[in-house]
Amino acid sequence: MIRFWPVLVIIAAFGLPWLPGLPLFWVTLGNEIGIAAIVATGLVILTGIGGMTSFAQASFMGFGAYATAILSTRYGVSPWLGLPAALLASGIAALAIGAITLRLRAHYLALGTLAWSVSLYYLFGTLDLVGRNDGISSIPPLQLAGVKFVDVRQSFTLIALALLASLWASRNLLDSRWGRAIRALRGGSVAAASFGVNIAAARMLAFVYAAVLAGLAGWLFAHLQRAVNPTPFGLNASIEYLLMTVIGGAAQLPGALLGAGLVVIVNDRLQDWLPLLLGHAGNFEVIVFGLLLVLVLQFAPSGLWPLIARRTAATRHTIGTIALPKRATPAPGPALEVSGLRKRFGGLVAVADLTFSLSAREIIGLIGPNGAGKSTSFNLLTGVTKPDAGTVRLAGRDVTGLSAPAMARLGVARSFQHVKLAASMSVIENVVLGAHLRGNASPIAGVFRQDRAEEAALFGEAMRQLERVGLAELADRPATSLALGQQRIVEIARALCLDPSLLLLDEPAAGLRHAEKQALAELLRKLAAEGMAILLVEHDMEFVMNLAARLVVMDFGTRIAEGPPAEVRRNPAVIEAYLGSAA
Amino acid sequence: MSLLEIDNLSIGYSGIEAVRSVSLRVEAGEIATVIGPNGAGKTTLLGAIMGILPSTGSIRLNGESLTGTDIEHRVERGMSLVAESRELFTTMTVAENLRLGGFRLRAQGQAALQRGMDENYALFPRLAERRTQLAGTLSGGERQMLAMARALMARPRLLMLDEPSLGLAPLIVRDIFRTVAALRASGVAILLVEQNARAALAISDHAVVLEMGRITLAGKSADLAANPRIVEMYLGAGR
Repeated sequence: MIRFWPVLVIIAAFGLPWLPGLPLFWVTLGNEIGIAAIVATGLVILTGIGGMTSFAQASFMGFGAYATAILSTRYGVSPWLGLPAALLASGIAALAIGAITLRLRAHYLALGTLAWSVSLYYLFGTLDLVGRNDGISSIPPLQLAGVKFVDVRQSFTLIALALLASLWASRNLLDSRWGRAIRALRGGSVAAASFGVNIAAARMLAFVYAAVLAGLAGWLFAHLQRAVNPTPFGLNASIEYLLMTVIGGAAQLPGALLGAGLVVIVNDRLQDWLPLLLGHAGNFEVIVFGLLLVLVLQFAPSGLWPLIARRTAATRHTIGTIALPKRATPAPGPALEVSGLRKRFGGLVAVADLTFSLSAREIIGLIGPNGAGKSTSFNLLTGVTKPDAGTVRLAGRDVTGLSAPAMARLGVARSFQHVKLAASMSVIENVVLGAHLRGNASPIAGVFRQDRAEEAALFGEAMRQLERVGLAELADRPATSLALGQQRIVEIARALCLDPSLLLLDEPAAGLRHAEKQALAELLRKLAAEGMAILLVEHDMEFVMNLAARLVVMDFGTRIAEGPPAEVRRNPAVIEAYLGSAA
Repeated sequence: MSLLEIDNLSIGYSGIEAVRSVSLRVEAGEIATVIGPNGAGKTTLLGAIMGILPSTGSIRLNGESLTGTDIEHRVERGMSLVAESRELFTTMTVAENLRLGGFRLRAQGQAALQRGMDENYALFPRLAERRTQLAGTLSGGERQMLAMARALMARPRLLMLDEPSLGLAPLIVRDIFRTVAALRASGVAILLVEQNARAALAISDHAVVLEMGRITLAGKSADLAANPRIVEMYLGAGR
């Protein structure tokens, strides 16, 4: 059944509008829903999944519509050639607007796109090129083998196929290397950046992709309505698209169609009923939509689709057997040399002149009381924050001040004190994010499914790492359904997927049971024996003292002791740092 | 009857039982301390006593059961908590922070509020010097003093301090602990949670040791200070 659904949809796309007795008006409504659903599909990826709110989707639709309208009316270009032009126009507009606006976050980004929406609306209304407020009329209809798409029933077929293609492309994108990067943006992008994802590029990709889908909708709109003017590309329309996405279920593709259907139908009914109910005409449906939005956000914050369809089964991934190329085994010698590292936040010196080194095949523990500066040191070593002074050398190379993705590229992988797994992804999808840098398929290859061989290899690697840490049987479970201790181990599998030469683990043993701790210690010893350098921050003293050959003890941001565990334990300065001195 | 009586208190969240059947007493006018390594459940315990975290078991203040009551009620009954992160109103002045701390005294009029502020300025002369300065511009030690003074403005019967020494230089830690010891004279009972075991044991009357959510040692502070188990607890047994 599941396998045949595209066939059924295609049959419906051709057959449905010709059903005997079906009022033509319903077909028209269906067309409106279809075009809106294409725009909303883009918003699902941008807002629901990528976490970026855009109030400018109707404007991008406008770019597509005007591009094809100008080409076909003034230059006599075939409407079919207008399609790539429309996609290109909206894509380039998104690239330019995104370059300026995407550095804003959260509410500021939403306000930024809102400002663009308003200004573009007035631009469309005053520019001679696009016919000012009158717009452009007499746009030629689409034509195929002598048949003109002028009948709403013919249009229905075209719109349905375009929507189907949009949903297919979007699903493919989400199930690709870059799609996972977009899915990992939500709820903090530090983890994604630490595995080499270029965050700015991933955000831009989602922004441009959503705009290109809006451009597709604009192209359909222009040739089916055969006239364009600024009104359908204004702020109200943009808000409506966002409303559809939120009501339908912002994080799921089918939600786009559900939301578009609900909003268009309710809007249509309300325009009939409200004047009857209230006795006079007016834009009262806006008030009803406002209430509807409040109710949905209150009672179904993730939209209506999840209420209809329980979580769909995890996507099946092909697990390839071809091994990915590995990093050359590092030469024995210092893998990491830290000297004079310093970081201050305002008046607080978090790390002051921290110096230590770590060799390949060595496990060392970084310990110290609360607030000693261990986490800050970790962030300095992984490129999350930049040091004020001092140097960090990786296998002899100066890497001070490099960004997190650059450190990842050089073979530095980490886990987090507060587990950072993408809640919407399965265990294996989270783990494969660690191998982001070991693939190179482009987003376009992902959309057209040309990345399958590489994907199989990446998932094969992820599965091997999951087997290595002993969680292979949980691969398809939602990541956040695991116990906290297991989530920490998933983070280690993700880090191993990077094929690191330096592994930094922040409290890996916290929340683990005794047997799990022993298995983890065994694994870390094995990794070190294979040539990895491992730095642990750990509060579980028994664990770290049994595992690490050497301990670096920090207090007040500086190294107060260094040496084998037995020695450190007797060191009076260490005892004083932990127990304090009597006042 | 003790001022604070806790029996069989258990606290669990996100599937982990962070504190398991803890019982402890704080007598009026004494300083009790809870010491233990990172992650032992100390902050969680204070959160449950204050009503920030749900818990099972019994919490009684002055004989009155506080089970199921909210934070506001517990403040009205005389509890104050100084959180580990201080939680100051950083964009307000020192004086404004103190005024808000005295919110409970609002029915008693301006004079009572002013008296409270004067007392706190006497206790923390540094704050008097900086009364018009924004809280966000204070140094770490001054912030801790302001957080304590703000809590004292509510005239609590029980003051709970979460890691007052955290992130502070040793000399300032000594100042803070001297002030805590001096507070005993004002009649307020203190429940002190500390990682800095030696300083906490030096100024307190009774102590309990919390490890992995359970009380593993309890007794007079002077006796515990001499117990070698304390070093092991922080730095491992060295097997």
